[in-house]
Amino acid sequence: MILFRRVVIFTMNSVCFQRNFAAALSPLVPVKLPSRMEAHLWYVVPDEVKSSFLLSNYLDILSPCEKENVSRMRGEQLQKAALLARVLVRTTIARYQINGQVNPRSLKFKKNIHGKPELEWDDDQCQCASRLQFNISHTSSLILCGVTVDSPIGVDLEEKQRKLKNNILAFARRYFTPHEVKFLSSISDPVVQHQHFVKLWTLKESYVKALGRGFSGLPFRMFTIQFRTTENGDSCPSGETNNEGEIIVKSLEDVNSFSSNWQFALLELAGSHYAAICMEKDEAVEGEVPTPMKLTVRKTIPYVRDELISGPDAAVISGLT
Amino acid sequence: MASVSAASVAFRALSKPPLKSNETSRLKIVSLGWRKNGFPSLRSSRLHVSCAQAKPETVDKVCEIVRKQLALPAEADLTPESKFSAIGADSLDTVEIVMALEEEFGISVEEESSQNITTVQEAADLIEKLVQKKPEA
Repeated sequence: MILFRRVVIFTMNSVCFQRNFAAALSPLVPVKLPSRMEAHLWYVVPDEVKSSFLLSNYLDILSPCEKENVSRMRGEQLQKAALLARVLVRTTIARYQINGQVNPRSLKFKKNIHGKPELEWDDDQCQCASRLQFNISHTSSLILCGVTVDSPIGVDLEEKQRKLKNNILAFARRYFTPHEVKFLSSISDPVVQHQHFVKLWTLKESYVKALGRGFSGLPFRMFTIQFRTTENGDSCPSGETNNEGEIIVKSLEDVNSFSSNWQFALLELAGSHYAAICMEKDEAVEGEVPTPMKLTVRKTIPYVRDELISGPDAAVISGLT
Repeated sequence: MASVSAASVAFRALSKPPLKSNETSRLKIVSLGWRKNGFPSLRSSRLHVSCAQAKPETVDKVCEIVRKQLALPAEADLTPESKFSAIGADSLDTVEIVMALEEEFGISVEEESSQNITTVQEAADLIEKLVQKKPEA
């Protein structure tokens, strides 16, 4: 409730300033829809959002239910992150201007049968609106939203430095596949082993999120993530952050599964996080080369600033050809 | 253990009003073997099959493990009803908590059940149920 109390006090004391400040908020910059096999990634750094006035405006965008969820978070930092996550989703979707101006406040969401959030459009909104897909992930220090058209998408974020309370191999033996345990065991440098653990975790999370099933809908033991380097086709650990080749997923539950339908990318984001993106592959038209995955990364503070990101702040580690 | 048909629960899920992530109707599914039969796991509705209320010692132990996993400061409020997500636990934290609980109580928790462990009380109740099911030593 801390955020709410603060917000109330602020707005009561600063009513006269509101009109001036309102002019300082920029409108949301509209953006073209992503193309086939393209994912737009938008991220917010909570530490960079300091203005109480901005936060109180953000709160206004949320639905009553979302506001209640934010208020239930224990502590200011968690409330702020929860608020920013909802704001990021709503403002990001609104930028795609389906059917003209879309008010972020008016967007409606539902959950699929496994609990994955999805957009809910009214009957009178055109077909193209329902094709927009999104997924979010956040840590305490970064919030990420991925958007595609048509393709189910899963994104997962983890701080590079995220430490396990358990031993990595013990954890992997409990939750990962034998192949992945073997892969991690083969890495002698504990720092590199830890990095690869975090990468594997985010990739596996992104897959179950893309499928819309979540961790409990698809136990991690049921599928293996492999890094396939271009040289020898075998998975091979590397301490370097340049392109480690292709990432593939193999299902252990069903020999006839469609796991070859999924494409992955792994990024280093803002120097501090690993971000895994999983998207359904474009169906190759007969005779045509399938479209490779493309990523466009933007950092944002909604209504304040958007920044197209490339280079070290959005460094691709694996997966994009 | 009461058995609930997937069809009737699914119907209830569909007839619920649209998205409210914190439901007041406390329906919880305890264990889902349904995946093997191809039934989808249900997250939007939760059916509570009555199980033993956990012993206070169990609840305390779970609190201790959760505090340690999340590195909660001593003054941080943690009650049996505390939602893990509300105190900052993400999916990796929850999985680590489950692993610690398995080690502490000598039980095995199916991944399918992990979605039902959203509070200290739920974790303790599940532990109690699994401990009671263990074969005699």
